[in-house]
Amino acid sequence: MRKKLIAGIGLALVAGLALSGCSARGNDTGSGSSSDGASNVKIEKGALIGVALPAKTSQNWVLAGAAFEKSIKDAGFKADIQYANAGNPVPDQQAQIQSMVTKGAKAIIVGAADGSQLGTQVAAAKKSGAVVIAWDRNILNTTNVDYYVAFNNFKVGQLQGQALLDGMKAKKSSGPYNIELFSGSPDDANAKVFFNGAMDVLQPKIDDGTLKVVSGRTSFSETNTQGWLAQNAQSRMTDILTKSYTNTELDGVLSPNDTLARAILTATKAAGKPNPVVTGQDSETASIPLIMQGEQYSTIYKNTTEEAQAAIDLVSDLADGKTPKTTEDKNNDNGKKVVPAVELTPILVTKENAVEAYKGNDTLEELAKKG
Amino acid sequence: MKNLKLLFGKGNSIGQYGMIIALIAILILFSILTNGLILEPTNIINVFLQYSYILILALGMVMVIIAGHIDLSVGSVAAFTGIIVAQSMAQWNFPAWAAIILGLAVGAAVGAWQGFWVAFVKVPAFIVTLAGQLIFRGANQIIGNSTSQPVPDDYAQIGSGFLPDFGPDFGFSNGTVILGIITCLVLVFLEFRGRQRRKKMQAEVVPLWVSIVRTGILVAVTLVATYLFGAGPAGTSIPIVAIILGVLTILYGFLTKNTIFGRQVYAVGGNANAAVLSGVSARKVNFFVMMNMSVLAAVAGMVFVGYSGASGPADGTGWELDAIAAVFVGGAAVAGGIGTISGSIIGGLVMALLSNGLSLVGLESNKVQIIRGLVLLVAVAFDVYSKSQGRPSLIGGMLKQFQRKDTEQNTVAAQQPRSIEDQPEKVNSQ
Repeated sequence: MRKKLIAGIGLALVAGLALSGCSARGNDTGSGSSSDGASNVKIEKGALIGVALPAKTSQNWVLAGAAFEKSIKDAGFKADIQYANAGNPVPDQQAQIQSMVTKGAKAIIVGAADGSQLGTQVAAAKKSGAVVIAWDRNILNTTNVDYYVAFNNFKVGQLQGQALLDGMKAKKSSGPYNIELFSGSPDDANAKVFFNGAMDVLQPKIDDGTLKVVSGRTSFSETNTQGWLAQNAQSRMTDILTKSYTNTELDGVLSPNDTLARAILTATKAAGKPNPVVTGQDSETASIPLIMQGEQYSTIYKNTTEEAQAAIDLVSDLADGKTPKTTEDKNNDNGKKVVPAVELTPILVTKENAVEAYKGNDTLEELAKKG
Repeated sequence: MKNLKLLFGKGNSIGQYGMIIALIAILILFSILTNGLILEPTNIINVFLQYSYILILALGMVMVIIAGHIDLSVGSVAAFTGIIVAQSMAQWNFPAWAAIILGLAVGAAVGAWQGFWVAFVKVPAFIVTLAGQLIFRGANQIIGNSTSQPVPDDYAQIGSGFLPDFGPDFGFSNGTVILGIITCLVLVFLEFRGRQRRKKMQAEVVPLWVSIVRTGILVAVTLVATYLFGAGPAGTSIPIVAIILGVLTILYGFLTKNTIFGRQVYAVGGNANAAVLSGVSARKVNFFVMMNMSVLAAVAGMVFVGYSGASGPADGTGWELDAIAAVFVGGAAVAGGIGTISGSIIGGLVMALLSNGLSLVGLESNKVQIIRGLVLLVAVAFDVYSKSQGRPSLIGGMLKQFQRKDTEQNTVAAQQPRSIEDQPEKVNSQ
C-alpha cells in the first residue's frame, strides 16, 4: 500500500516537474544572496509586496486591506494582500506568509495574528531576501524582523494623561483633583506601555499633590484589567466608589480604552455620581456619541490609512536606495532585538476636534457630525 | 490489464486510485496556474513543514474512524500538550528531549482517560471527545494564561528544522541524498527478498519485468522526492517533521495491514458483534485506538509548537476537522470498517496541496475554505455514489478487477490460478 502511495505521489511529481522545469539549489525564489542586513536588499518598481493581515475581526482590519491596496498601487508595486481565516488564523497566516515567500515577494508586511508564532516564516522570508516589516503588532522572539511600523503607544499614554489633566482643569480651574487609574490586561504587552506613558505625565502631579489617588492604587499591577474585560473594570470601579468615595467627589479617571471608559461611566452612574472626566482610546463607534454629548471626555484615533501608507513609504525608500528614518525605542524590543521602528503619532480626539480628526473615515466622521 | 494488476498489486480500493489521480490533477492544474511554483523544491518543503501536523493527526484519526468512532478532541489535546511542553522548558528548564518525553506522556495520559470512557464505560466517542475538546481547551487556557509561550530554538527543530548540511557541497543536501539512496536500496532489497520468499514458499512469483518496472517506478519517485527535498536553498533539506511523518506512516501502515491487532481494528469497525464473537476484545481495540489518537495529537501539537516557535492560545482550533476531512477524502467510510493509512495520507496531501495551490494563486482564505468544503463533499459523494451503483467508479471499467476487497496480505498465494499457464510456473519453481 505504501509503495503505491509513494508511486502515486511520485507520478504526480514527475508529471509536474516535466511541466515546471527544474531549478538548481540556491537558485530558487528570491535572490538568496547575502541578506544579513536590510540595507543590501534590492527592491525594484513593480516588485511583489506581500501583506499578511489577521482575520477581519474588526472594522480597522478591513480598512487596512483597502488602504494597503491603494498605497501599494500608487507606489508602483504589485500587491498580494491576504487575510487569515477567522476560524484558524495562526496556521493560515503562517501558510500565507510562506506562499508570499514562494511567490518571490520582495517585501512582506505582517499584521500578526499572534506575533510570537511567526518565527519560522519570517526566517524563511529573510532567507529569500525579502524585507520583513511588522505592522501594527510587533513580531516577537526573532532577529528576522527588519522594521516595525506602528503608532507610538507610549505617546498614546502621554496623550491620555495630558487629556485627563486638561479635562479636569476645564471643569474645575484648580486642584487638588481626586482621580483613579485603570490599566489594560497584563498579558498584552502594549497595556504596560500605555500606562507608563500616562504616568509619565501624571506621576509628577501626584508627587506635588495636584492629583490625589484616593484608593491609593497607583501601580500597573494594582490597576490592571484582566483580559481588557469591561465587567472587570466596572466591578473594580464600583468597589472603589463604595470604599473611598462615599463622601468625596471623583474628578477624573484614567481609562486605557473606550470599552473600559464606558464600563467606568456605567459604574459611576449606578453609584449616583456625576460623570468624571474619563479618557479612552480606539475611537469605537459606541464611544463617539458619548464624547459628542460630553459624557466621555476623550479618545485616541489611530489613522489606519496613514499607518499603511507609512509602511509603503518605507518600502519605497528602500527601493530608492534611501535609508529609512527609523527610531530605536526600547518599547519595541521583541525579546531578541530592538526593532527599528517607524512610529506614528496618534491623534487625541475630544468633542472640539472630532469632526476634523475623523476626516477620511466616513463612518466615524458621520457619527461625529451627528453628535 | 492483468499486467497493471501485477504492477500495482491488490487490496486497493478504487477511491484511492481516484485520489491519486486527483492528486496528480491538482499538481498539474496548479503547476500551470502558478507557472510551476507549486513544484519548486522550496514550496514542496514548505508544504511538508506546514501540513505535517494534519497528516500526523490523520494517521490516528483513520484508525479511530475504521474502528467506528470519531475524535473531536485532537485539537484541544494538541494545544494542551503544546502549552505543557512549552511551559516545562520555560518554567522548569526542561531540556528539549525531556520536554518531548513529557509531551508524549501527557498524550498517553489524556488518551487513557478518553479510552477509559469509550471502551469501559461505553460512552460514545463523539460525546467523550466533545467533552475532551472543552476540558482540554480550558486546561490549555488556564496553564498558558491565554497567552503565547515561546520555546527555545533547539526544541523548535522538531517542527522547523532540517537534516543538517555536512560534508562537501555538491549542490544538494548530502543528508537528503544519502537518505534517498538508502531508501532506494531498501526498496530494491525488499522486492528482491519478496521474490526469494515467494519462491521458497512455492507461491506464484510475478514475472521479472514486473518487479523491475515496479521497483523502477518507486526508485524514480524516491529520486524525484530526494531531488525536491535536496535541491532547496542552502540550509534546507528534508524537514525533520517530514522524517517523523514518514516513520509514523510506515509504522502505522505496517500495524494496520500486517498485524493481528491491526486486522482486529477493521473487524471491530466492520461488525463489532461478529468480531467479539470471534474472540476479538473490542474493549482493547477501542481503548487502544482512542489512546493512540491522543498520543498522535500530542505529537502533532509538539511539532506545531516547534514550527511556530511558540505555543499559542488558539493552537489546535479546527484541527480535528482538517484531520477528519483528510481521512474521508482518503476513502474511509463513516460507518467504520473501511479506510487505509495510505489513503488518508493521500487525502491529507490532496487537501494540503489544494490549500497551498490556491494560496499561491492568491485566492483569499475564505474562498479557499469554500473550495475545500466542496472538494470534501464531492469526494465522499463520488465514493458513496460508486458504491450504490455497485461499481467502483468511472475508472471502474479499467480497474474492474480490483473490486474485491482483499483483507489478506498474501492474496496472491491464496488465489486460484487464473489460467492453465499459471500452473506450470508454480511447478517449475519447486
